[in-house]
This record gives sequence, structure tokens and C-alpha cells, in this order.
Amino acid sequence: MARLVGIFELPAQVVAAVKQLQARGYTDIETYAPAPFPEVDDAVDPKPSKVRLMTLIGGLVGVVTGYAMTIWMANNWQIMIGGKPFTSIPPYTIIAFELTILFGGLMTVLGLFIFGGLPKFKIDPAYNSRFSAEDFGVVVRCREQDVAEIDALLREHDATEVNLVES
Amino acid sequence: MTPPPTNTVAGMIRPVPMPPDSQTNRDLLAVMKGTSPGYWFLLGLALFFMHLAGGIWIWQVYKGLGIAGYAHPVFWGVYVVTFVFWVGIAHAGTLISAILFLFRAKWRNAINRGAEAMTVFAVLTAAQFLGIHVGRIWKSYFILPYPNQRGLWVNFKSPLLWDTFAISTYATISILFLYVGLIPDIAIARDRATGWKKVLYTVLALGWVGNSSQWKAHNRSVLHLSGLATPLVLSVHSVVSWDFAMALVPGWHTTIFAPYFVAGAIFSGFAMVLTLMIPVRRIFGLEAYITDYHFENMSRFILLTSIICGYAYAAEYFMSWYSGVEAEQTAFWLRAFGPYWISTWVMIIFNTVLPQLLWFKKLRVNVPFLFVLSVCINIGMWFERYVIIVGALSREYNPAVWGEFIPSWPEMGILAGSFGFFCTFFLIFLKLFPIVAIAEMKEIAIHEKAHGAQGSH
Repeated sequence: MARLVGIFELPAQVVAAVKQLQARGYTDIETYAPAPFPEVDDAVDPKPSKVRLMTLIGGLVGVVTGYAMTIWMANNWQIMIGGKPFTSIPPYTIIAFELTILFGGLMTVLGLFIFGGLPKFKIDPAYNSRFSAEDFGVVVRCREQDVAEIDALLREHDATEVNLVES
Repeated sequence: MTPPPTNTVAGMIRPVPMPPDSQTNRDLLAVMKGTSPGYWFLLGLALFFMHLAGGIWIWQVYKGLGIAGYAHPVFWGVYVVTFVFWVGIAHAGTLISAILFLFRAKWRNAINRGAEAMTVFAVLTAAQFLGIHVGRIWKSYFILPYPNQRGLWVNFKSPLLWDTFAISTYATISILFLYVGLIPDIAIARDRATGWKKVLYTVLALGWVGNSSQWKAHNRSVLHLSGLATPLVLSVHSVVSWDFAMALVPGWHTTIFAPYFVAGAIFSGFAMVLTLMIPVRRIFGLEAYITDYHFENMSRFILLTSIICGYAYAAEYFMSWYSGVEAEQTAFWLRAFGPYWISTWVMIIFNTVLPQLLWFKKLRVNVPFLFVLSVCINIGMWFERYVIIVGALSREYNPAVWGEFIPSWPEMGILAGSFGFFCTFFLIFLKLFPIVAIAEMKEIAIHEKAHGAQGSH
């Protein structure tokens, strides 16, 4: 197996190259981008990020924790304060709201770590500091006999450079 | 690939130079390079005031809150005023990052990092005051939901408990927001740094490479954090306002307090962003990134929130007159013409009259004017909280228990120290992390390049 990395200047070129590669049956594709371009990420994998599920779980756990904690604690040792009921929902809603946000936010960042593959201890040799400048990269894994075809295809889509990297 | 031996022809040819780094990277990473004597002077000054305040605080822990001049009837003095002031300052960052992100206001990109960093440091500064103000610091864990020896829990009906939850949530979320936004920029710095900074950035970048799964998760996380932070930013100062509004004190017990405080917080936060970013832009030559257009947009926000604040001030006076409640009427009469009249008129003139000058476009793009105005607004907003808190407490229902409050020098020392604490962190941040979000600036640059290449737009 070989790996080719094509270097591009514009996100539209990356999208076109990725689409073409997928149409030809090369599915082991990775892209690198210097800034967020959702169209590039969607070209590789159109499914929405699963982070949204994490936020939902975090938020639900937070709201349940907020109400459960306040109601249980207020009733665990009942003290009458200002003649208000032990289980008074309006003030506890504030705690539940804050915990919804807190747990939702923490779970969102956990989702970023899980689905973004962070922390990554070994950086792929195909990665190049040019991808943290202003260049885009398309990395394709293929059989050795397909290298010429992919090289031509990437250049056809205005790749400024195509390099072989160790796989 | 191993390099060829040096005695061959190939070895004599100089290695291919690295392609030049992008303009955005060079310009924005240059801010982090090198330190001038002026920088060390400012950092030293900030550290001096921070340590001065630390010394005063240790003395206060030893002697008690009496040294801060806390006596009947005013037990909430400069510490609570300064706490509310810093929480207010902390609102601009999340507003710019979250709310303007959801509105797709692209002009936020140049200023959001500075504002987010300011938010984190302001909320950490504010959090110090919870500890300073309680006096018996060793008992401050009583505000956590933790039972004492008799199994007694905290009182969740108390606004002070709401405050604990609101402030700690806000601190956590704003730190996460800042860090998540920083990860791609730290990776940029990692690829270009050497020495101990390389180690630091390698650890903090968490192996970010910017591949499609990372960006996809990142975009989604920023979107969701913005969605979560938007109601949060509006709730935090509402909760802080309820610390007052829930109490039966004339001048405090009004329903207008939550929106009034939130508008004031955004107002003061934007002013603080201007106070910080104007010198940063000038010193580091970032005029190409933070343009007059950004400052003008912020001025418009300041003008809008100033009008809301002015409306709230007027509504307070109207309601106290219209209510017919003598205590309320007296409280507001004494605000304007009582012992704290200077503070009240500073607040009215600095917060509602002076910002009206921003109706003129010429002044909205006049940077020195904006700087002076933003400092005036910061002063005016500190006095707003002073008037509300001290003014109301010293003049409650019974004239027999009225009293005067004069800020003591330990309080003023700790107030100065809070600025030192804030500036220390901000100055260190300036030299360690990009003050302008590099990846987001590139997003704009690449979009422009793409449209230029297609010859459209």
C-alpha cells in the first residue's frame, strides 16, 4: 500500500478532488485544513458530528441532577425557610439550569476529544506544517499500481504538489 | 528519507528552503515574540499591586473584616462592588464569542480571542472577591452543597447559592470556550516554536492536526458551546442582580434588576474590550486585523447598551416616584442629592450622557476618543455598582439606623490589586497565546482568495 498527499490552495479544489476520488472508489481519504471549512469535512464524511449526542446527554443529566440534588437535599434535613415549601421548584430551576449548561458544556468538550481523536499522541507523517499555514492536504491510501492514476487526478484538480509518504 | 552523506554532490546542494509561512501566521505570531522593557515594567507593576493586595488580604484574614471598615449598617462595601464590576466585565467575551457567532457576525473574528481571554481573567478576578468578602475564608466551603456534621445542607433558596452555581458554571464554560478556540492556534504555534515553548504547545495542542474529523467535531463543539453560553451569559448577571433584588432593601427590590444588570454588564464589558484592544492594536501593529470597522461596531454596541442603561436608570426613578412608597422615593432622592451624589452623577454622566457622542460617525472611528470614553465608562460602571450597593444599604427603612460609608484604604488596595491580578494574567497570555484567533482570520483570508480566484463577488 502507498499513500499520496496532494497539496491544495483552495477548499473548493479539495472538495472536487475528494468527490472525484470517492467516485473512483478510493475511500481511505483524509483531508487537512488550516481553518474550519465545513464543506471539506462534509465531502469526506457527510454525517453530522456525534458531538451533538454528547451535548444532549450532558444537558439531560445536568437538568435531572439539578432538580434531584436540590429536592433531595432540601428534604433530607427539612428546615422551614421563609415559609416556603421544602420542594420549591422556582429557585431550584436556577440550579437545574446552571447544571444543564455546565454538564452540557463539559460533555460537549468530551465529545470533541472522543470524536476528534484528541489527544493524539502520534502525529501522522503525512501531516505537514504547511497545513497550519494556508495549504490544504488530501491524503489517499491506495495500492501501488494506482499511484499514477491518483497523482494525475490530484494534479487535475489543481494540486500544487503531490508527494508520496510512508504508510 | 535519510539525508545524503555530506561529501556527495547532493549533500553540497543546500536543502530546499521551507515554503514561506503565511502572512497571517507571521503577523499574528509576531505578537508573542520577544518582550520589551515596557512589557516587563507593566508586568512588574501588575505583580506589585497583586502582591500588595495579597498582603492586605492576609492581614485581613488575621484581623478580620473590621480593617476594611465594615460596620453597621453597610456590610457590603467595595469588595462586593468590585465583584459585581468584574463579573460585568466578564460578559463581553462570551457575548462576542457566542452570541455574535450564532448571528454569524464575522467581524467578531478579530476581537473574539482577546475578549474571551479577558472574560476568563475577569471572572477569575471576580471569584477572588467571593473569598475576600466572606472574611472567614476557612469557612467558605459552606457555600458548596456539602452537609455539616449535623447533616444540614445548604439553602438552595438563597440567591448566594445561585450565585455560586452561576459563577462557577460561567468560569468553567468560559475557560472551555477559550481553550477549545485556542487548540488550532496552539497547533499553529507548535509547528513553528522551538525550545520549552515547543514542549508547552505540543502538550496543549493535544496533537491537533486539523483533519476532517477534528474540524467536524470542533465546529460542532463551538456551535453547541455557543448555544449553551448564550442563555448562560444572560443568566449570570441576572443571578448576580438577584443577590440584591431578592432582598427587601429600598432601591434593590425591583424586577427591572436582571435586564438592567445584563445590559450594564455588556456595556462595561465592551468598554473593557476597547480599553485593552486599543493599546494592543497600537503596540503590536495589528491594524490590518483589528480595523476601525471593528471598533466602530463595538461603539455601536456601546451606544445601544448605554441607551438601555439610561432607560433603566430613568425607569428606576419613575417607578420609585409612581409607586408612592416613601422608602423607595427617599432612597432615590438620596441617591441623587444625598451623601453619595458624586458617585450618582459620575454614573449618570459617564454611562448615559458621554456615550451619546457615539451618534457621530467621526467620533466612532476616532480611536483616542474611544479609548478615553471606554476608560470613563469603566469608571462610571464601577460607580453604578457603588451607588446601588452602598447607597441602598446605608439608607434603609429606619433613619435611626442610617450610616455613612467611606471606602477604607485596605479596600482600595485590594481594588487596585484586582486590576493587578487581571493585568498579570492578561499580559502573560499576550506573550504565550495568539491574541487574535489565527485560524478564524485565515478562514476569512481563504474565502477572499477563493472568491478572487473565481473572479466573482
